[in-house]
Amino acid sequence: MDEAAVKLKLKEWIVERSKIPVIDGQFSYDTNIIEEGYLSSLDIVEFILYIESLLGDELDMEELEPEMFTSTNTMYDTFFATV
Amino acid sequence: MSLTSVQLAPKLSTASIKKSWDVYTAFDWPETLPEDNWYMSPELMSLYGTEYFDSLSEAQQKKLSFTELCNFFSLVLQGERPLVQGLAHRLYLKTTEPPVSDYLHHFIDEENKHMIMFGMFLNRYFGKVYPEKKVTIPREYAKGEEDVAFLCKALVVEEYGEYYNVVMWHDKNLHPLVSEINRVHHFDETRHLAFGRARLVETFNEKSKNWSSDELQGFRDWLAAYLKSSWGDYYNPTMYKDAGLEDGYNLRQMALEHGRAHREKASEVLVNLLVENQILEQAPEL
Repeated sequence: MDEAAVKLKLKEWIVERSKIPVIDGQFSYDTNIIEEGYLSSLDIVEFILYIESLLGDELDMEELEPEMFTSTNTMYDTFFATV
Repeated sequence: MSLTSVQLAPKLSTASIKKSWDVYTAFDWPETLPEDNWYMSPELMSLYGTEYFDSLSEAQQKKLSFTELCNFFSLVLQGERPLVQGLAHRLYLKTTEPPVSDYLHHFIDEENKHMIMFGMFLNRYFGKVYPEKKVTIPREYAKGEEDVAFLCKALVVEEYGEYYNVVMWHDKNLHPLVSEINRVHHFDETRHLAFGRARLVETFNEKSKNWSSDELQGFRDWLAAYLKSSWGDYYNPTMYKDAGLEDGYNLRQMALEHGRAHREKASEVLVNLLVENQILEQAPEL
């Protein structure tokens, strides 16, 4: 899967789970999804499993930091760009 | 009238001393466990009742029952780690009454033994402990909310686990070591639950009276989401993969969709406590 496809899948997941309406033009790949209230910390638990399903591998939980889940771009850079 | 946590504490301490056990000598650990055995009661398994489960051979179901048990032991072990941390933090605080500090020592001792027990089983027969899939994101709490949230988290791991303990303790089809571990765990947990239920209700009543309606609603929203999220731990994609089943993430989604009635039944005691004491306004969607 290329970069655009991965980011789109991550965005679609966020939109489906979002606590607030996702309005085109207001949500970008740099949007802070926690601070701006799109997802809660409990949603991140589920998101980790989804990211693992896209990667086909498990994440090392002892290496994870909250900042990695800041935005679509930080998640892509952290988990997918180096694969 | 039910006893307060301070009234309960000395009685529970006495019972803990009387029923004390040695984790290193309590079990006969066989060299290996046979593959042709049930390790979790089928009705507790996450895929039970689905067409997919029925399509599996009995050998596949038994293999899955082993990885589901290992997931259950792992998630209880992982839930007990922050519980012990939080209990130790509360020892000898000015607000922790002396009989309660005395009992917390037993609580911590027993939780530590449970972690040793689960760790011994998992390392010996499974070769790993499933990691906790959680990332702690700092958030702001209302005054006293963190204390209430800690007691809620403690009660969730124990109440959910207790339902499984009782069913598996009495299931004669399971390997006897598994039944025994669940029996032993159950007897300690009944004391922890008695204390935890009383302490949560008291602490919530004391702390929440100073919360604004927005703060109270925010706490209730978090708690409802936490109850649901905690059930997610029982549907671990990796345990499906370890049982030789493909597409673990989608199996999880299917099982979550199917298992609502089971989750409601297994959560009934806890949800009733939360609703009856107005900690939650209504039963949450699980």
